[in-house]
Amino acid sequence: MVERIEDLNLPNAVIARLIKEALPDGSNVSKEARAAIAKAASVFAIFITSSSTALAHKQNHRTITAKDILQTLNELDFESFVPSLTQDLEVYRKMVKDKKESKANNKKDASTGDATASSSSAVVVADSEEAA
Amino acid sequence: MVDADNTQLNHKPSADTFLPLSRVRTIMKSSMDTGLITNEVLFLMTKCTELFVQHLAREAYMASCAKQSNDTLKYEHLSQLVNKRKNLEFLLQIVPEKIRVHEFQEMLRLNRSNASDDDDESCTESESDDE
Repeated sequence: MVERIEDLNLPNAVIARLIKEALPDGSNVSKEARAAIAKAASVFAIFITSSSTALAHKQNHRTITAKDILQTLNELDFESFVPSLTQDLEVYRKMVKDKKESKANNKKDASTGDATASSSSAVVVADSEEAA
Repeated sequence: MVDADNTQLNHKPSADTFLPLSRVRTIMKSSMDTGLITNEVLFLMTKCTELFVQHLAREAYMASCAKQSNDTLKYEHLSQLVNKRKNLEFLLQIVPEKIRVHEFQEMLRLNRSNASDDDDESCTESESDDE
């Protein structure tokens, strides 16, 4: 549950950065326009979430899946987002898979007392252990 | 579609997000009966929201600023875009056209030229008088 309405706002600095990235160099954004975009983004997330939830329920699923979201975007006329998101999702899934594998490897290494466990995988494991 | 090209342009697939996942999760939860949110769904929604922010900014800029060789994106450009695009209909109440209110008041004033002009500044009294 949301305690304060501010909890639904997205951080201004990040929004400003995303906007700046999207516009040509040297362009400006008024404060009011930025606030409106931030608000619109929150509403967009809620809108897509509830539409995806409705779609999942229609298929007798209790929780939404990535597929539900992509299908919702198509239905709501945001199909231009889908190719990029599909690519991002692939990268994300690969990252999660790699994380799992390196964690498993690291466990093996640790049990045999292998001190030469690669530092890169150690970092990843530390990351995922924090989340656990 | 120009639209699609723009979104695709300079997009590098990446597993990094700029917006905080926890905040996006809170926003998603605020929607009624959202069930469990998996990490994958949370990631996708965050990415999607980021794309939306950039899409909205770019489209509004292209539609107004670029044409007028004006370099500042203003609120009005956003509300104009929201009014124009069918897929942004859900934002009509979030990003309303400000100009409309003034026009509306102007219309009201013209229609009831006998009404007093005391409450010029206060926008509170906007009783609609249809027909």
